Amino acid sequence: MFEGLSSWLEQTELHSIFSDTTHLATWLIIPLSQTVHILGVAIVMMAVGMMNLHLLGVQVTRQSFAQLSERWMPWLWAAMGVLFLTGAIQTIAEPTREFMNNTFRIKIVLLLIAVAITVIYRTQIKKDPKYWDLSGEHRTLALGLASLSLVLWLGIVAAGRLIAYVGAIDEF
Amino acid sequence: MLDILKWIDATAMAEEIRVSVWIFPALEVAHVAAIALVLGSIARVDLRLAGLASRDRSITEISREMLPWTWAGFALATLFGVLLFVGQPLRYVEVAFFDAKIILILLAGLNMLAFEYLTRRSVGRWDRAPIPPVQVRLAGGLSLAFWISVVICGRFIGFV
Repeated sequence: MFEGLSSWLEQTELHSIFSDTTHLATWLIIPLSQTVHILGVAIVMMAVGMMNLHLLGVQVTRQSFAQLSERWMPWLWAAMGVLFLTGAIQTIAEPTREFMNNTFRIKIVLLLIAVAITVIYRTQIKKDPKYWDLSGEHRTLALGLASLSLVLWLGIVAAGRLIAYVGAIDEF
Repeated sequence: MLDILKWIDATAMAEEIRVSVWIFPALEVAHVAAIALVLGSIARVDLRLAGLASRDRSITEISREMLPWTWAGFALATLFGVLLFVGQPLRYVEVAFFDAKIILILLAGLNMLAFEYLTRRSVGRWDRAPIPPVQVRLAGGLSLAFWISVVICGRFIGFV
């Protein structure tokens, strides 16, 4: 399936533009896309870092989780949009580098789980502003999800950088 | 200068970083994570200084929350950055983007010092202002521009 997808992408107009290293304007596309991707990562790391640390009881700020969530979620989703867009650009430019790589696939799986946890944070906090309070009845769940979420996001960052080094599927 | 770099290049540590399959990638991952910490936290302060975000919270409050992370991140990023450099010192000094990156980091530092010792003295007057005075907004805007440029140069080192 991924081979087919890669082959199809390699025949598109966008791919020829993005992967054209002979002209400066198009040569810049991949490095600039990666740079914007890094900036997006910084925003996401701040958002999930602050929310998860708060759930773990670390007093980063005086704001409640409900307030943190209110402020940071828009930035988080906006950054995720940018990350998806730049990720798409990079994948269209070099389809097999992403699709035919186990590290990339692992990254996406980790990402889906991490996003699911973030959605759980949001849906519950909107119904009950005190849902995730450590003094409340969902203490264990809060600690568990926050620990898992932090590990996942760090894993996603690591996997992202390691795609360049490991995981390439040779025989295809 | 060149002699020092040649000396570093010849050390066992440099050799280890060069030949090892995992050390360089691991250093890069750690460097990126530290950068995310620096950039994310300083961006928050800079956006507030520029009057673009969190206008309902005081500048000193946000700075107090964020700057410890900025410093911690910067210390880690520098540590890992130095180790990355040690692997191929002679190569990196030849890359314009590397030189530019170091200069930009110094400029960002100077900007922060200027803000700390000159502008910040009058903080009592504008700490809660949604739109701070122009020199404060300038400090924030410049800082953000410098740090984003540092990230751009850093990424481009790997492409040339």
